[in-house]
Amino acid sequence: MINFKDISLVFEGGSVALSNINVEIQDGEFVYLIGPSGSGKTSFLRIIYRDLIPTNGEAEVTGTNINSLSSWRVPLLRRKLGIVMQEPKLLKNRTVTENISFAMEVLGFTPNEINTQVRQLLSLVDLESEAYKYPEQISSGQQTRVAIARALASKPLILLCDEPTGNLDPNLSSNIVVLLEKINRAGTTVVMATHDSGIVNRRKKRIIELDSGKIVRDEDRGRYTLTGGL
Amino acid sequence: MQKLTYVIRDTFLNIRRNPLLVIATVLAIFVSCFLAFVTLTGQAVVEENTSRWQNGVHVVVFLDDRVTTTAHKQLQESLESYSEVREVKYFSKEQAKEEFILLFQNQQELIDEVDFSILPSSLRVNLHDPSNYTLIIERLDGNPAVREIRASGEAIERLLMMTSTLAVAASSFSIVIAFAAFILIGNTIRLTTFAKREEIEIMKLVGASSLYIRLPFIFEALLEALIGSIIAVGLGFGLINYLSESFFADSIFIIQISDAYLLQLTLIIFVASIFFGLVSSYLGTRKLVNE
Repeated sequence: MINFKDISLVFEGGSVALSNINVEIQDGEFVYLIGPSGSGKTSFLRIIYRDLIPTNGEAEVTGTNINSLSSWRVPLLRRKLGIVMQEPKLLKNRTVTENISFAMEVLGFTPNEINTQVRQLLSLVDLESEAYKYPEQISSGQQTRVAIARALASKPLILLCDEPTGNLDPNLSSNIVVLLEKINRAGTTVVMATHDSGIVNRRKKRIIELDSGKIVRDEDRGRYTLTGGL
Repeated sequence: MQKLTYVIRDTFLNIRRNPLLVIATVLAIFVSCFLAFVTLTGQAVVEENTSRWQNGVHVVVFLDDRVTTTAHKQLQESLESYSEVREVKYFSKEQAKEEFILLFQNQQELIDEVDFSILPSSLRVNLHDPSNYTLIIERLDGNPAVREIRASGEAIERLLMMTSTLAVAASSFSIVIAFAAFILIGNTIRLTTFAKREEIEIMKLVGASSLYIRLPFIFEALLEALIGSIIAVGLGFGLINYLSESFFADSIFIIQISDAYLLQLTLIIFVASIFFGLVSSYLGTRKLVNE
């Protein structure tokens, strides 16, 4: 599903974001990407959705080679991915329902498909009662749930979450993680970046820890699976 | 179909967001297209009229009636022998009188008062190239049979020079206005994209194609270009109709342009404005897609 071979990323000016990353993430896995701020978590995710191109190595996502992917084919890759940022980035002038359906509208779904899918997603993220509220009228945790629902609108194979609990209190964070695990159980591969090791340690999932652009830990339910980078 | 509905809806939403800028853009395109239309039709009218005049009499040699008709005949023969001369016609005093009466048929008082014996006979010369009228004047200089020489070439030359100067000025102005419209379209797009930056970011994340993100902006620019050019061409046609029925029509100037030419000009203006809209919106949205 996701395969990084000797991936390095050096920004203009010489700062190293990632260095010799070797990682393989299988279909249906749930992976926590952890590490302090500036450790390379966001760069790792941005390579997956081809917002950045690695300077070295080869990256493959859902069978697509990221290095050689032409710009006009990037949207085709992104339709297989769901992306959730730390900021939910909801459209203020649209209701919860409209925010979710917007993603489906631009991808050309029919009104019937949109209605059915949006209802299911609202039920999944437990926001049925907030369907016609505007983002300002709901809590931060609920806003993150809307962002997750929107990311799932195109039925992605992989859900990428970049610090989705960054602005939430521990209780709400825990709820989001439970929701993501529920999504994962339905078959979607989930990669969640977080600097909150407290959340991660309570869950029995694979953990990839980055520090200064290098993998310092790759552990699956306590089993050490580091393939390189130290 | 769903996507097209969204694009069209979004195009009109964009227009509603910046109505003043949209109006300014349409006005700039209108002024530019109108100037181009008027300049090109004006030039066509002048060319049509000058070519009509150029096919007529270029030099009129008024003859001295004190000289014998044999001398007049000799002068006509020598004029006919010049290579630059196409045709020479003798115009008698009687014919000059008839022409005068015809020209001033509405001014009976003038006709009654004129002493027709003073109207001279003349030789009316048609040249292969009207600009050679100066050669004829030089050759006839000092000829005792000649009383006076009048040439239309000088007036035609002056008119052509004036119209070509006007055409250059109007075309330059039209280009300046077109450039302003170009910048206005770019600015309108930039403002709209700024207002929609979050929407565009989401569209990119969910996998909307660049073309799809760009289409509402391209449609908007095309619509503005089309509205501007349609108003310009419509007003241009109105102006032609008005002038061809006004005092101008009674003057020596004939406002007559072929339908084929007008159709061709209309098509050129529409195609040019569509191309203009496409290029300006393509360039305006380039940054948006590359960001």
